[in-house]
Amino acid sequence: MHKAFEKVILIGYGKIAGQALSYTADRRKDYGYQIEFVEHEVNPFPVTEKICRENDIPFARIEDKKELAAFFQSISERTLIVSVSNNFLFPGSLVAKENITIINFHNALLPGYPGRNAPSWVIFMGEKESGVTWHYVTAGVDEGNIIIQKKCAVTADMKAYELAGTLMELAYEAFTECFDAVIQNKADARAQETGKDRRMYRSYEIPGDGFFEPTQDAADIYRLLRSTDYGKNDIFPPVQTVLEGKKAEVLRYRKISADRVPEDVLQAIAKQAAENNRADCKENRAYTYLADTTESGFLYFPLDNGNILRIKCRLITP
Amino acid sequence: MEEKVLEILEEHCEEAIDYDGDSMMEDGIIDSFTVINVVSDLEDEFDIEIDAKYVVAENFKNKEAIIALVKMLLEE
Repeated sequence: MHKAFEKVILIGYGKIAGQALSYTADRRKDYGYQIEFVEHEVNPFPVTEKICRENDIPFARIEDKKELAAFFQSISERTLIVSVSNNFLFPGSLVAKENITIINFHNALLPGYPGRNAPSWVIFMGEKESGVTWHYVTAGVDEGNIIIQKKCAVTADMKAYELAGTLMELAYEAFTECFDAVIQNKADARAQETGKDRRMYRSYEIPGDGFFEPTQDAADIYRLLRSTDYGKNDIFPPVQTVLEGKKAEVLRYRKISADRVPEDVLQAIAKQAAENNRADCKENRAYTYLADTTESGFLYFPLDNGNILRIKCRLITP
Repeated sequence: MEEKVLEILEEHCEEAIDYDGDSMMEDGIIDSFTVINVVSDLEDEFDIEIDAKYVVAENFKNKEAIIALVKMLLEE
């Protein structure tokens, strides 16, 4: 049987990379290709190295971009590169090589939200729906023809990492669905409609500039916090605000039911909220700050349905 | 403290409670998204900050390692 690809190289990190790697290894018997795996970004919870070990797949860790580009440029076989949860931008000269085909998973419904950190922007913009796109890679970022897309709902309390997790599950599902067509070079891909006003999201951009005023609408603040929340991954710096004339950064936040808040705290919230309503807040935008030490404290905001947004902050200027 | 840690862990990943190996991540018991939820709940429950340097596979290799991490942070 003629093989469209002699080799498959996967590059990426995290759970989805592990899943795609395992699947590609399982399908090796059907198509007879060789597999290699490249880790470009080191993950605190690595899973792919073990899969490579168990499946006799060469594993390379190449953190340097130039070295990685040179590695790809040296490929002489007909090769499919699967970019799965990967932030390395493939150089135009590599994309142009006739023996190389690259597919990439993007965590949004292209042509919408191209670029970096799409789940964050989707949440920040208040979208109710998102999804994943597998597409061929061209010289432009996230511009290539679309192979497959899948949609999911963006729920009211969803945080960026939760949406990212949901998207990765979808991405794996989509990968298995389009795999046979892609590996035989028979995928029925369609062009994207990318206009001049297409907004590209850059790695240095932060939703809401990573800052809120305590007098903002609580729902907007909650959305900002959720949109930048990747747990301990330092994708974004901590969200900042200003409290009593001092800069403060958010340590953590939680939407809680009012009945989980101690009565004395509720009374303090009501009292301060009334004062803030008069002083500097519009209706429903009252906030309360209760210090627990000289350096930290909790901000409280009323949300809908009797819920409260509680934010632990740390003052960062003397 | 241990009981509360286990309660939080069980809420997000029941399998972790009975796991007796030493690499929950590699063995597919827990994933990085579950770790984020567990960390978030531990911080909230114990009013501690778990710095990113502690959120690594070694400290989440099994329930005993998680308990040891929380204990260490509470004693700091």
